[in-house]
Amino acid sequence: MNGIKVENISFSYTEGQPVLSNIDVHFRQESTAIIGQNGAGKTTFVKLLKGLLKPATGNIYVNGMNTQEYTVAQLAKQIGLVFQNPNDQIFKHTVIEEVMFGPKNIGQSTEEARQNSLLALEKIGIVHEADKNPYDLSLSDRKLVSIASILAMKPPIIIFDEPTMGQDYLGKERLKKIMKDLRAEGVLVLSIIHDMDFVAETFERTIVMNQGKIVLDGPTREVFSHEQLIRDVYLELPHATQLGKQLGLKQTFLTVDELINFNRKKQ
Amino acid sequence: MTLYVKQDSLIHEIDPITKVIYAFVAALLPYILPSHTVALIVLVISIMLLVVGKVFRKIIPLIGLSLFLIVSLVIIQGIFRPDNVTPLFHFGPIIFYKEGLSYGLLLMLRVINLLCAFGVLILTTKPDDLIQSFIQKGMSPRIGYVIGSVLQLIPQMSATIATIKDAQRSRGLETEGSLLVRIKAFLPLIGPVIMNSLISTRERSIALEVRGFNAKQKKTFLHEVHTYKYAKVIQAVLILIFIFAILWRIFL
Ligand SMILES: Nc1ncnc2c1ncn2[C@@H]1O[C@H](COP(=O)(O)OP(=O)(O)O)[C@@H](O)[C@H]1O
Ligand SMILES: [Mg+2]
Repeated sequence: MNGIKVENISFSYTEGQPVLSNIDVHFRQESTAIIGQNGAGKTTFVKLLKGLLKPATGNIYVNGMNTQEYTVAQLAKQIGLVFQNPNDQIFKHTVIEEVMFGPKNIGQSTEEARQNSLLALEKIGIVHEADKNPYDLSLSDRKLVSIASILAMKPPIIIFDEPTMGQDYLGKERLKKIMKDLRAEGVLVLSIIHDMDFVAETFERTIVMNQGKIVLDGPTREVFSHEQLIRDVYLELPHATQLGKQLGLKQTFLTVDELINFNRKKQ
Repeated sequence: MTLYVKQDSLIHEIDPITKVIYAFVAALLPYILPSHTVALIVLVISIMLLVVGKVFRKIIPLIGLSLFLIVSLVIIQGIFRPDNVTPLFHFGPIIFYKEGLSYGLLLMLRVINLLCAFGVLILTTKPDDLIQSFIQKGMSPRIGYVIGSVLQLIPQMSATIATIKDAQRSRGLETEGSLLVRIKAFLPLIGPVIMNSLISTRERSIALEVRGFNAKQKKTFLHEVHTYKYAKVIQAVLILIFIFAILWRIFL
């Protein structure tokens, strides 16, 4: 029953200016990237999934629960959302307490919450900062704190809104690993993301949004084979894919490793 | 996102300084000449200007907000004013007097008049234009900046609060419901609000400094505040009316 079912929803902030229209999509287990130009409606879409906004028409079912019928807090056990800006949530004096806030809200005991929080900080690589004040960390580390604070709640569905923003190579590699591990544990991972290389290397499925509509949806490799369509919505292909094309190869390559292996075999 | 309403009207065309003078003259006249007639005439003029400016409907909620104050003024004056002598009517043992009610009515007219007079200014003038006019007239840009940020503070704060509320609800914090629930939610909400405003204040001051806010040179302005053809005439008339009112009060 794990999954999100979006049934033909529309949404607008101000009447007469639809931000999302007729979106009908189903998320089961594949990790999914949501890509699209700024203003395409990605953040609005994930806020609807999370129940922060309610659709004007249509319904959204999160693990079978209609988002219209539950408060955001009630849904928090089912679905976690990591916000773009970590400053919007941090209020405790130590990292560990900040991370424990969510788990305690959804009914974990203090001990349980502490364990899950330490585990989450460990996974994300900042467990040594557990007792520091979050505001003494850099913005990119604060972002990691906000990710850990959702991981520690252990929801079966996790959505990230631009998690790679401000992260260096190591941070991105760590995020990749976390998302892949979550996927392996059976967690449904969705992420809004601008880094196409990251998309190609991490996600099984990719959804392309443009002007409030889903214009492409499919396995990541297939989506990136539509070169013209991707260009039309002002996105670029991953570097490995571009290189493959420039080398005149027919297949769509997603990672540098694929490209190298392909060339080795040929030789 | 302030009270300013963008419209295409004659009143919007008039330059900010003229409207400031109008607001002060109109607000003060009923005090200089304490008669119902004067208050009523000025009020009617302000309302007409609001109608011409297509913003009359926006003043109604503002008057509504102050209605409690206004009504209690009339009631208290009607019952308790020291020079009350002529009873007018009574509710049970409570007697309302003519003198008190009349004075209460005058106070009421003054308050509504004040709101409408400044309404003409505030509802039809872009805050930026207003501040820039003052700076061009010689006010310190620092003070201009402070006024400008205060005007922006409220809409900005409420946007930040909405985002923060979303972030905490997402972590399972109940924000709706009983008083106890709301009290518990206070700290997780107010903490980030304060931190965010401190951070943005620091960043804004750096951004300003980088762009030469404190430079000693004479500054030019990016936007030209539109000048109004009859500004000088209107200003002169307003000031004349004001002086006449004072003379009238003193000598007649
Ligand atoms: N709170 C809001 N009120 C009104 N309009 C909004 C709000 N948030 C976003 N929008 C508008 O909705 C559209 C989609 O925005 P958003 O979902 O943030 O896009 P993305 O995340 O893809 O950049 C944009 O045109 C944006 O201006
Ligand atoms: Mg966004």
